[in-house]
Amino acid sequence: MNYPSWDVPVIGGVWVIGGMAIMHIMISHFAIGGGLYLPLAEYRALRAGRQDWMPVLKGHAKFFLILTAAVGTVTGVGIWFSIGLANPEATSTLIHYFVFGWAIEWAFFLMEITAAAVYFYTFGRVSDELHLKVGWVYSITSFFTLFIINGILTFMLSPGDTWVSLAGSGTEAGAFWSAFFNPTFWPSLVLRVAACCALAGVWAFFTAARMDETKQGRLKEEFARYSVKWLVPAYLLMPVCFLLYIYQVPVGQRLLLELGTHTIGAGLFTQVTRMATMSIAGCFSLAIIAYLLAWWSPRELRFWQAVAIFLVTFASFGATEYTREMLRKPYVIGRHLYSNGVRVKDVARINQEGYLTKSIWTRPEEKTGTSPEAVLARGEMMFRGACMSCHTVDGYRGIRRLNAARDFKAIGSILTLLHDQPEDSKYNAFMPPLVGTPDEINALNTYLYSLVQPLQTPAEPAPAK
Amino acid sequence: MTNSLSAACKLPALKERGNQLYAWLNERLGLDFFVEIARHKTVPEHRYSFWYYWGGLSLFFFSVQIITGIFLLMYYHPGDGAYDSVRVITNEVAFGWLVRSFHSWSANLMVFCLMVHMFSVFFMKAYRAPREFGWWTGLGLAGMTMLFGFSGYLLPMDDLAFFATKVGIEIQKALPGAVPAWIPGSAFAQNMTNTLIDNLVQGGPSVSGMTVGRFFSLHVVILPLIFLPLLTVHILLVLRHGNAAPPSVEALPEKERRSIPFFPNFFVKDLAMWLIAFNVLLFLSAVSPWPLGPQADPWAAAPDGIHPEWYFMSQFQLLKALGEVLPGAIGEAAGATMLGVGGLLWALIPVYDTRNGGQTRAKVATAFGWFAIAVLTFLTVWGYVGVMGAGK
Repeated sequence: MNYPSWDVPVIGGVWVIGGMAIMHIMISHFAIGGGLYLPLAEYRALRAGRQDWMPVLKGHAKFFLILTAAVGTVTGVGIWFSIGLANPEATSTLIHYFVFGWAIEWAFFLMEITAAAVYFYTFGRVSDELHLKVGWVYSITSFFTLFIINGILTFMLSPGDTWVSLAGSGTEAGAFWSAFFNPTFWPSLVLRVAACCALAGVWAFFTAARMDETKQGRLKEEFARYSVKWLVPAYLLMPVCFLLYIYQVPVGQRLLLELGTHTIGAGLFTQVTRMATMSIAGCFSLAIIAYLLAWWSPRELRFWQAVAIFLVTFASFGATEYTREMLRKPYVIGRHLYSNGVRVKDVARINQEGYLTKSIWTRPEEKTGTSPEAVLARGEMMFRGACMSCHTVDGYRGIRRLNAARDFKAIGSILTLLHDQPEDSKYNAFMPPLVGTPDEINALNTYLYSLVQPLQTPAEPAPAK
Repeated sequence: MTNSLSAACKLPALKERGNQLYAWLNERLGLDFFVEIARHKTVPEHRYSFWYYWGGLSLFFFSVQIITGIFLLMYYHPGDGAYDSVRVITNEVAFGWLVRSFHSWSANLMVFCLMVHMFSVFFMKAYRAPREFGWWTGLGLAGMTMLFGFSGYLLPMDDLAFFATKVGIEIQKALPGAVPAWIPGSAFAQNMTNTLIDNLVQGGPSVSGMTVGRFFSLHVVILPLIFLPLLTVHILLVLRHGNAAPPSVEALPEKERRSIPFFPNFFVKDLAMWLIAFNVLLFLSAVSPWPLGPQADPWAAAPDGIHPEWYFMSQFQLLKALGEVLPGAIGEAAGATMLGVGGLLWALIPVYDTRNGGQTRAKVATAFGWFAIAVLTFLTVWGYVGVMGAGK
């Protein structure tokens, strides 16, 4: 435990990141897709001499600028804050290896956000040619922010054999490019670009729906149908790229997709399967819904219909991102760092020396004390360090609920299973090993049992009669 | 219609093939007849058009019920093995949990859509002539949907299903007890009710595997046999009379009233709504798969806070509340009478609020609709507050 733990009741730190990330993705991907949509639409309009498109595009650009520059950037910073608090070890590792990557991304981001503002405010104030060039600058810079962040995100899932073999040796920097262009980089990039295009179309439905069909009937029809076309690449490319992406995911983690086909067991046993089902069916139906509502009767496209399309997109893209995040389990950085912040190479040492031994966030008496209070406090510290990155006490993946039907011995058996990790344990697929000395694990056992049986908290299991 | 379809088809060869296929089918099935109907049917377009989709959505969820029901039938065993077969569906059959969740969630969504549909029809005054029979067949379908829900709820035979059904049946059994003992025939009425329920409904003195068999046949044979013809009549009536516009729209001059063709314009939007509804269903099933509780134990105490499904909660709470004021069978009989009278008034609204009935009656009918919503909402919330209190 190098860092203090961040206790977020009910939803847990994991959902602070999750909620923020899903919102951010819906907007940041629009920032990239919309960045291509706007100059392309302007280019088409100028080439066809359709000046009547310009006020619509300007209105859409205003909506685009406010949404991406305000909400998009705030949620982006929010992710930084939350990952730093919820998983400091992983954040520290990523900064350590990708500090220049992030610096370059921020440089591109600065150019992107400036270009977006210039693009909107120079509508009709500079020559068409120059205005369009500003649009292309935005488009290219925003794409490169995605290009870089995609390298870092995919690294977390599949860092690649070269980097993993060097991890912890001090020479990992030599494997930067191998880590960046890791096995899932390209399929993920194509998937994300397709998603960006789809979101450009989906967000544009809001602008189309607000157009007056009696005064701007033809324009509304053209704009809505143009927007539907942006969903086509996603519809065609996403299934193929998804399969390629899944093929590159390490086999052990891919198994998570199958765990939930036969059961509704709680937690990660089934969550990945359930979310993947929602993601696939949602993406598939999204394009058909957009086609039926915005292509067949574009003039009758209503605001509530745009909202409905957006909500379906939100659910399916949210499920996709959730699936991607969960596929990393039990790691947060594949084969290097477990989701609870323990490095793979440190497991044996910690089991030997103890998990709390070097923790500066644990009081000395809690580390070694034998009184029931000290044991309970030690167990709680173990819970905070080893479990709380994924579990809460009473909310999301609530440990009290999960252990409700277990007695002291049954909880102990689960902890032993998590510590020893026998090959046939299904928990290995999604839970990191429980590290620590037998005394620490017993303290954790006592603490967990105290949550379900507060009146009986034996420090030791009762001897069998 | 063929032209409209072909217009979207850009490839001439494909268009030609489509026309050939249509001609071939038309010769054998007489499709032109249906096309003629669809061509002339229009749907009013106004600010309340959103409410026209809810009947179609109810139909969509009913279709999901049929399809998922057929899949569930492949593994389900009525009778004493009911619980085990549902456990196998939920925990062993590949994606069995998903099919079961679809079935259970779509049942709830169907009831919800039916209620929205019923109230939107009510407030648009679409029960007025010549649509009275549309209203009555619709009410019949709504009542049968509730029966579908009640009979299907027991089938997994877990503890919640068992005790909720037991409570529901006990209430029916107690009703004749409201008749004072000095009235001739009161004992006979009680005995007759007990005999009927024991032999016909429960298949014994208490809820058991035999009851499951009876509820199963009601759920998959008897109710569908009545429901499907009634649904056909309801849809034919809608086709015959078309969608009603609310009085405020009907009062507009002809040139200010807008409408769109049912086919393909409205139909295509209906399809989109169905797909959106499918996503809602998928979301609920994926995020919260339908659970299976412990196997029912007739000798165990009822779990804390036992309660019926949300669509029976208002009735349940009314009976419960009256039972506290008027203990015993009298309270239950009073509650049943109130429910009966309320339902009868609801059904008779087309007779009271007619086209020529005047503004006062129209306003009273609208007020009655809002009153019904307020009472249902209040009783439902009250019921859940009580259940949560009991569960603590």
